[in-house]
Amino acid sequence: MSFWPYFGLKRGIKTTSWPSAKEQSPGITPGRPRSASNASSNATTQLCPTGALHPVETGVSVDLTHCIHCQRCRQGPHALPWEDDVAWTVNAGTALSPLGYRFRRSLHVRYIDAGACGACINEARLLDAPVYNLHRLGIFITASPRDADVLLVAGPITNAMCTAVRKAYSAMPHPKRVVGMGVCAINGGIFGENFACVGGLQKIVPVDLWIPGCPPPPLAILHGLLAVVGRTQCTTAEELP
Amino acid sequence: MSTCTQIQDWLGVQTGISSQAVAAQWLQLQIQASRLPELTAALVRDWQAEFATLLVEEEESAVDACLAVYYFFYLPRNGCLLEIQIRVQPGEELPAISETVHAADWHEREAEDLFGLRFTGHPFLGDFVLHDDNWPEGVAPMRHSFDGLHHPKVQKDSDTEWSPPQILREEGAIVFPVGPVWGDFHESGLWMLETPGEQIRYLHTRLFYKYRGVEKIAEGQTLDRALLLVERFSGAAAFAHAWAYCQAVERIGGCKVPARAQDLRLIFAELERIRHHAANIAEISGSTALAVAKAMAQDIVEDLLRLSARLCGHRYFFGVLTPGGLHHDLDPWRQNLLAETLPSLDARLHELEHLLKNSSSFLDRIEEMGTLSPELAQSYGVVGPIARASGRAIDLRLTLPYGAYATLAPTVPIAQEGDGYARLRIFFSEIHISAELILKTLHQISAGPVHTPCPTFEGRALAWVEAPSGATFHWVHCDAAGMVLRLRLGTPGFRNWHAFERAVENAAFQDFPIILATWGLSVAENDR
Amino acid sequence: MLYVLAYLLFASGPLLALLPGRRIPLIFAWITMTAGCVLMIVQGALAVGGPVEQSLIRWALPIIGTFDFVQTPLGGLLILITAVVFATALPFVTRDATVFSTGRRTLFLAIVMLTLVSMIGFFSASTIVSFIFSWELAALAIWGLITFETRHSKPVAAGLLTMALSELGSLVGLASLLLLAGAAGTTQLNGIAAAIPHLSPMLLLITGLLAFFGFGMKAGIVPLNVWLPAAHGTAPRSISPILSGATLNLGLYAFLRIDAPIALHQPDLGLVILASGALTALIGILYALVERDMKRLLAQSSVENMGIATAGIGAGLTFAAYGHPLLGGISMVAGLYHMINHSTFKTLLFLGAGGIEVATGTHNLDQLGGLMRRLPVLGGFFLAGAFAIAALPPFNGFVSEWLLLESLLRVVEIPVVPVRIAFAISGAVLALTSGLALTCFIMLSGSALMGLPRTAQAAGARRAPHSVVIPMGILTLLSLLLGLAATVIIPVLGRLAAPLVGADPTATLVPAFFHNTSRIPRAVQQALDAIGAHVGAVFMPVRSLIVMHLDSTAPVVYAMSAALTGVVLALMLGGVWLVARGLRRRRSSRNILWDAGLARLRPEMTYTATTFVAPVRVIFAGFFHPHIEVEEERQGAFVLTRSYRGVIANISDRAVLSPIIGGAMAIATLLARMHKGRMNTYAGYILLAMVLLLVIVAAGRG
Repeated sequence: MSFWPYFGLKRGIKTTSWPSAKEQSPGITPGRPRSASNASSNATTQLCPTGALHPVETGVSVDLTHCIHCQRCRQGPHALPWEDDVAWTVNAGTALSPLGYRFRRSLHVRYIDAGACGACINEARLLDAPVYNLHRLGIFITASPRDADVLLVAGPITNAMCTAVRKAYSAMPHPKRVVGMGVCAINGGIFGENFACVGGLQKIVPVDLWIPGCPPPPLAILHGLLAVVGRTQCTTAEELP
Repeated sequence: MSTCTQIQDWLGVQTGISSQAVAAQWLQLQIQASRLPELTAALVRDWQAEFATLLVEEEESAVDACLAVYYFFYLPRNGCLLEIQIRVQPGEELPAISETVHAADWHEREAEDLFGLRFTGHPFLGDFVLHDDNWPEGVAPMRHSFDGLHHPKVQKDSDTEWSPPQILREEGAIVFPVGPVWGDFHESGLWMLETPGEQIRYLHTRLFYKYRGVEKIAEGQTLDRALLLVERFSGAAAFAHAWAYCQAVERIGGCKVPARAQDLRLIFAELERIRHHAANIAEISGSTALAVAKAMAQDIVEDLLRLSARLCGHRYFFGVLTPGGLHHDLDPWRQNLLAETLPSLDARLHELEHLLKNSSSFLDRIEEMGTLSPELAQSYGVVGPIARASGRAIDLRLTLPYGAYATLAPTVPIAQEGDGYARLRIFFSEIHISAELILKTLHQISAGPVHTPCPTFEGRALAWVEAPSGATFHWVHCDAAGMVLRLRLGTPGFRNWHAFERAVENAAFQDFPIILATWGLSVAENDR
Repeated sequence: MLYVLAYLLFASGPLLALLPGRRIPLIFAWITMTAGCVLMIVQGALAVGGPVEQSLIRWALPIIGTFDFVQTPLGGLLILITAVVFATALPFVTRDATVFSTGRRTLFLAIVMLTLVSMIGFFSASTIVSFIFSWELAALAIWGLITFETRHSKPVAAGLLTMALSELGSLVGLASLLLLAGAAGTTQLNGIAAAIPHLSPMLLLITGLLAFFGFGMKAGIVPLNVWLPAAHGTAPRSISPILSGATLNLGLYAFLRIDAPIALHQPDLGLVILASGALTALIGILYALVERDMKRLLAQSSVENMGIATAGIGAGLTFAAYGHPLLGGISMVAGLYHMINHSTFKTLLFLGAGGIEVATGTHNLDQLGGLMRRLPVLGGFFLAGAFAIAALPPFNGFVSEWLLLESLLRVVEIPVVPVRIAFAISGAVLALTSGLALTCFIMLSGSALMGLPRTAQAAGARRAPHSVVIPMGILTLLSLLLGLAATVIIPVLGRLAAPLVGADPTATLVPAFFHNTSRIPRAVQQALDAIGAHVGAVFMPVRSLIVMHLDSTAPVVYAMSAALTGVVLALMLGGVWLVARGLRRRRSSRNILWDAGLARLRPEMTYTATTFVAPVRVIFAGFFHPHIEVEEERQGAFVLTRSYRGVIANISDRAVLSPIIGGAMAIATLLARMHKGRMNTYAGYILLAMVLLLVIVAAGRG
């Protein structure tokens, strides 16, 4: 005799009310650096091992597509301010508009791991945890790209996975959108472009949106998926002070 | 030390091989290639030696460079590490040892693929790390002469088209492919089930779809940047791998990590272990379609991730470690937060464990499922919770203690059955033991700094950590300027995936995802 | 007169083959033999519509007795079927005969013609003597066909097995006939039938069972069916269609002829026939499912279909024995209908298998695949045959199986509980059989025609010969017609069933108003109104309304219109096609196959017949009782190869034949000192013994 439904009901509602309300539980995001009008811009810039920080006339700008959350610029005398938001999605530069009204509450996603380290995968797996529950937003994960509207790709796109990503993209019906998740998908991240990694999803399929982060937390991923249907807004990749 | 002398004497008397101690409990010996199989077989047979890792280094960047091959073994009973060195001249072949020391099987295949090192007597070389359908024959990427920035051109030749391996001889049997893209959020890899339908007779795993060439791209980078790589190649056990890497760098630099940093490292590592195992439990529950249990476990995982973010700024412990200690201290408020939060999380896991253990329909699906017999576990040299669920009492925290484990030794749970349920029990037991260990450490945590500057010298060192999924051995070789010359990541995933092939034999198709979940292995950790 | 002409044509065919040359003589032979077949088709059709009995030959031979042949409607039907099967198989037979030398091809064709001639004789036999004579002649001819390609050892073994079992069956059947003849005091089959009401029930049961199992052997009735897949699977590929499509009917006809009059007075016999039929069907399809060899698979499926036909006959006889000749008539019609259907689609499928063998050189399913692309026409006809045999409308298999299952449900009219239970179980077994048959033929057509070619042979399949494809087309058309025109055929069969069960079901059950709506009786009209049904205007050429039961209060109306089904189906498919077309016009996209991201999907990765039916193998593991040998080749800790060899022994082999053979061997060792001859000699001894027996009995009477 199984009482699992009872155990489930006993726990009550755990789901966040984001995006209709702000979600500020501590630890829900690792946070990320923001640009600042910093006097010692050169010293701050040197803290970054991946070149995400650039000195500009007004201070330090942050290139979010290169930040891998190494936390080197978080504390110390030259630290940048870090902010706990989740609206991380940036436009990848294609002119494709958000998917139409019909997809707003029925968006089917095919996830492909193209070399992700496990952190991105774990965050993506948590999307269907009760706390985040992507289904309440009308987003569903499908087993086949045949049924998918969105291709969600994580990892630095290893050479061995190129065929799979390409095939999945061509197997999808129109209209289709591609979302690259994590800094690795954008430019290879710490792995960069090398003999084993293509380093950048847009080199093999056209990409519509990026979700930067290393890894992007579940709410940032949800933000990106909602941006596909125009329910949230993208920001720019380069943050100027 | 006395035990190392024992084996030193035995080596001298029985085999006539001289060895020298390079460090406490670290024995180095150079032998002729021809003596390798006999010596390693004897070590495993007579000393119950465990194979740690195999690594190859190219001596110079010249085309005809010699290869130095290192075989690392350790004796779990004595806590003695053995380093067997062999120099291989260009064109020379090494005898394969994997016929007897089967744990070395994949290591040899990897070395053949990446260095072009030839092994005689190995029946299954080729198409391993580098897939035949997307890599030219005969190009060894780990050689210095190979340009690591560009993918070599592949000639499309239908004659050399890859075909799946088949060892099964049965009428009408097929190779049923699972992957590389499959399931909802599964990692990429190709599992080829040899089957006449329904029953799996044999499994071939074709991994390395996620090969990112980490060991190659680390070469020529700074130690700090290589640390970022080590943290990020396997996010589920980032702290453990970073810790092993830092220990190796610290060993080269000869720096002593402050006691407080050692305590904190233990705390974070055990926290990561709890989260890793909890995530596995969520996957096991999910694979048996137990949605409520999965939700409960996911809830705990999410709360652990949030706890990590609050303790050290990152949900996956990225950017916490640095050679010489930690980047930042854990302030009293955060210590308090951990001490207050952890017991309730552990209690929730206890509750989940109780519910699962009393759910007979769940137990029916994982009992006697994906069994790895103690004999196979021994032969394949599996590590970590997988080994402990198959009756192997090995844990580097006890056998080769490092960091604060010298004084704070955990208890090691053991199960004999080797089935899915045994692994689930081990995951739960380790969670409880880790929670206890964290609270104990927190209670008696040392005061003082958390970082000491670590000088860089030219040198090489092996360091190890018992990662959540088992023994990990990282080798670092750097020059005086702090540039990495060779990084070797000997991961537990690489060991355990090898044995996973044998655990699904005679299982039914529909049990494959369940077995996979009960093993809880990371492809990223294997592929590197 | 037609007989004489046809027999002359049959005889001239092989003789023409003696002419020198390669193709021309065979074409001549084919023309004359086919002409003979056509004459026989005409004669059969005439006989079906002709009088109850019409004498053909009547010889009074010394010692043995009267040697009589008469023409009956039922016999005519079987002659018709046989002639059609031979006519469609002859192109392939003559084509394959080209490989033989002149003398051998004449012999080959002569044996084929002997088979046909002896079968026609058998279907017209009216005394024990002519019955047994034709039976033995047919058995000998079939044995000759199976063993014709003697260069392989397997056909010899299969032929010997057939011969041995055939003789065993003959002996058993003969014993039954002699007992009956002795009791009735006549060798005329009609005379025996007339005497049956006066014989003791025990004698009737014994003789009935002996006749059923003895002659049923030829139709593959359990337990003596192991020879069938062996023989039909290993016979020359052009002969298999004849063996399965035509010769199996010998067994059905034989026991029907003997048992029908008995079963009317011995209800238990009908039940045994029904249960054996159902069991045979299930066992047949189960073994068909585990076969990899296309020919053996089709042979096992023949066992299944013979079982279904037998079950129909058994149910019909049981109904009749319990005083429900009309219901019995329906079951009997279903049984006979299925026999006809089996002859059409099995010939079609065996021709297809032969064509595939010609094109690829193999009939092993696991070595085929993807043939639809290389052999589209043959593949299409083969697929139609698979549809028909899997009882999918609008093909003919559906009609007979549906009719049978429907009629079995009417067992509620019989108040005896054990009979109801027997019917219920048989019905369930037959329903299971239908489901398994569907699986089996999806597997057969799927693994041979669909997917990727698994071997170079399959990938490089040559064009299939016209001698196979054109007859297949004719048979496909026939299958379709038999499915669509069910309402025309059922009354004809009803007339044939009438003498067997005592009443013509369709004359009563398909009343006159069926053909003329204005003559609907008031009661029927009211009953139809009550359920909201009405018989509308005539818009279909063949309307189908079968009243299966009429009693004093209300008719039970069943509408079964395969023609209507066909039209509805066509309309539905057309509608779907139109909708799909309309949708496609709006946005068309052609995508690559999603193979989970593999570099290329390999043939090794696609399903084979073995893997497709694995669930069945696992579910019925207790029945199949496979003997599996595992062997592992190792190098240290490496597993290099792992072999699984599974052997599934036929259950009748295990449970019946092995003990018998064991016993026989024990006796044989005793006799071994005297006899050191070959197996053929022993078969000869049995023949001799039988002739002696006949002589003794006849002399005793004389």
